[in-house]
Amino acid sequence: MNYPFWEVPFIGSGWVIGIIAIFHVMISQFAVGGGLWLPMAERKALREGRQDWREQLEKHSRFFLIITGVFGTVSGVGIWFAIGLTQPEATSTLIHNFVFGWAMEWAFFLVELTTLAVYYYTWERIPARLHLRIGWLYAGTSLFTLIIINGILTFMLTPGAAWLSVAGTGAESSRFWNAFFNPTYWPSLAMRTLVCISLAGIWALVTGSRIDAEKQPELKSSYLRWTTMWLVPSFVLMPLSLGWYLLEVPQSQRALLSLGISTIGSGTFSQVTRIVLVMIITSATIIFVTYYLAYRNPKDFSLAHASALVLLALMATGSGEEARELLRKPYVIGGHMYSNGMRVRDVAAANKNGYLRDNAWMGSSPDDHWVRGELMYRGQCGSCHTLTGYRSLDKLMAGRDRESVGSFLTMLHEYKPDLAYRKFMPPLTGTPEEINALGDYLYSQANPGPATRSSDNRLAAKTSSANTSTH
Amino acid sequence: MASSLYEWIDERLGVTEAIAFARHKMVPVHAQSFWYYWGGISLFLFLVQIFTGILLLVYYRPGADAFESVRQITYVMHFGWLIRSAHSWSANLFIFAILVHMFSVYFMKAYRRPREVGWITGIGLLFLAAAFGFSGYLLPMDELSYFATKVGLGIPASLPVIGGPIATMLRGGPDVSQFTVQRFFALHVVVLPLLFLPLLGVHLWLVQKHGNAMPPSEEGKPVSARKTVPFFPNFMQKDLAMWLISLNILALLASVFPWDLGKQADALSPAPAGIHPEWYFMAPFHMLKILGNWLPGATGEVIGILLFTAGLGLWVVIPFYDAEHTTGRRSRFAHYFGLFAVASLILTTALGYWGIR
Repeated sequence: MNYPFWEVPFIGSGWVIGIIAIFHVMISQFAVGGGLWLPMAERKALREGRQDWREQLEKHSRFFLIITGVFGTVSGVGIWFAIGLTQPEATSTLIHNFVFGWAMEWAFFLVELTTLAVYYYTWERIPARLHLRIGWLYAGTSLFTLIIINGILTFMLTPGAAWLSVAGTGAESSRFWNAFFNPTYWPSLAMRTLVCISLAGIWALVTGSRIDAEKQPELKSSYLRWTTMWLVPSFVLMPLSLGWYLLEVPQSQRALLSLGISTIGSGTFSQVTRIVLVMIITSATIIFVTYYLAYRNPKDFSLAHASALVLLALMATGSGEEARELLRKPYVIGGHMYSNGMRVRDVAAANKNGYLRDNAWMGSSPDDHWVRGELMYRGQCGSCHTLTGYRSLDKLMAGRDRESVGSFLTMLHEYKPDLAYRKFMPPLTGTPEEINALGDYLYSQANPGPATRSSDNRLAAKTSSANTSTH
Repeated sequence: MASSLYEWIDERLGVTEAIAFARHKMVPVHAQSFWYYWGGISLFLFLVQIFTGILLLVYYRPGADAFESVRQITYVMHFGWLIRSAHSWSANLFIFAILVHMFSVYFMKAYRRPREVGWITGIGLLFLAAAFGFSGYLLPMDELSYFATKVGLGIPASLPVIGGPIATMLRGGPDVSQFTVQRFFALHVVVLPLLFLPLLGVHLWLVQKHGNAMPPSEEGKPVSARKTVPFFPNFMQKDLAMWLISLNILALLASVFPWDLGKQADALSPAPAGIHPEWYFMAPFHMLKILGNWLPGATGEVIGILLFTAGLGLWVVIPFYDAEHTTGRRSRFAHYFGLFAVASLILTTALGYWGIR
């Protein structure tokens, strides 16, 4: 345990990443797809000698620059802060393994941002052909940012046997390319590329909806109709690439998809299935609305319609990203690290010597029983649960007596092969005394009394003195 | 092939004629046009109710097995939870949409001559929808629905002379039991639909006959300054878009917040804390509670029920009071009465939830 625990009340720390990431993915994938859309549209305008299109594209590129260059970059940095605080062990593993990959990502990112600024500020200031070449350069560099980050993201779900065979030996980076081109790399790249192309179309419908149909009816119709075509590849190929992706996902993870078909258990039992349903209905609606409103009736297509499409796309993207994240359960890095940051290979040692033994932030395993209980909660439960909000332990422990809380924890600790919770929860590690302390803590939280209230103060005091001694 | 098939159908059903009629029908376009969609949204949600209700009917078993059958639907049948969840969410959204529709009709003064019957049938539909909600709520027979129904049926039971027999008849005995479930089931799937469907037919026919009413602000404009669009295809496309939005909201709610099932009802166990009626009954329930505090015992409940009935009576007859298309004293009074009704419903609902928080 090398890092402090970051506890976010009510929504939990995981959702801090989730909220920033969904927003970021929606924009960054627009940056990639829109990067291709712009030079394609500009090439069309040049070939057909459409000055009205070029003027419209200049407006669109300003919108594109602001959305991707400002909101995209800020939220991207936000993800770094959030994952570093929420999943420090996993972030550390990724950095150790992919530092070269991330260096490439940053290099492409810098070129991408620079070319985008040049692209926007040189409209009608440099020869049209040269301007178009800058657009293609932007498209290429932004595509490379996807190609790289896709390797890192898919690694977390399917690191692959080659990397897992050296995990924890210090030689992980020797399997860089195996980890990068892992089993889900190519299907995921296909899916993300299709999503990028669709998002390029959806965002371009926003600027297209602003064209005044009274003044420029032909421009509005041709612009919107051409743009709606950008949703066709996704419509046709997405089911195939999704099927390919799922074939590459380990069977144990794929099973999470079907858990919710027949039940609505609490927590993650049925969450993946339910989220996938949202993704399906929102995606189908996007196709339907785009065809009937933007393609069939482009002149009546308004900003409200376009905004509704963006909202639906946000929901579809959010659901897709959440489903992908949930598919990793119970791991944060498949087969290597559990979702609470515990490495698979460290479980036995933690059970033997104690989970809190190496707690750098407390100096040593704290003496106070209540403090130990709370630290166990923060370290082993807090990544996915909160006390009173999202996946609330108050609610999950409600109605249980102390013995029942203990039985539940023992069940998670024993982690038998047929345990249903194994599908999405990590094992509970620690010595019997530590698990007992966690049981007391959880029980006291669900049944508040004087002892509970004092435990908070004790932990605060302990943390404060430990920090002072560290400094 | 397609055109000959169309001709075959058209010759028998007169599709072209119907389309020509729909194209001829015009819908006003103005700043308040948004409120025109709520009747259609209510209709859509009712259709969802029928569809999901029929699917639930395949597995639901009223009587002693009620809870077990709902447990199987929720935890065993493939996507049973989704159908049940969609049914429960759409029931709540249905009543919400009807309320929005009713108040928008009220404030746009769309109840005035010649639309009085449309107003009255609409209120009848709202009452039947509430009865659907009340009868359907008990059917899972879990702890919450059992005790909430018990409290709900306790209200008419407090009426002198007729209250007791009415409550006993509804319950099928002195207390809520499997016989009550049997009765409520018959009400929910046979009696109420038999009343609702013809009334809905009359309501829709009247909407078709009189068309969309213009709010007073539009009526004041010269005819040349008013904008309209054909019902078909322009308005209908937007109406369908609203249906699609409703479907998405419903799917989102049903999937992300699936309807839970509580513990099996046990008549011998104490009522769990915070038992309360569904949100659409919270306002009358809390009004009765307030009156009960002032006038304890049956007197408070009887006076409360009478006052509430009198208020509803006024609400129903408002088209006859404010019948003329003018902006006189009656029009203003009706407007203030509407504001008072909305404010008191929101306030008492909020107070009700505040009390059980």
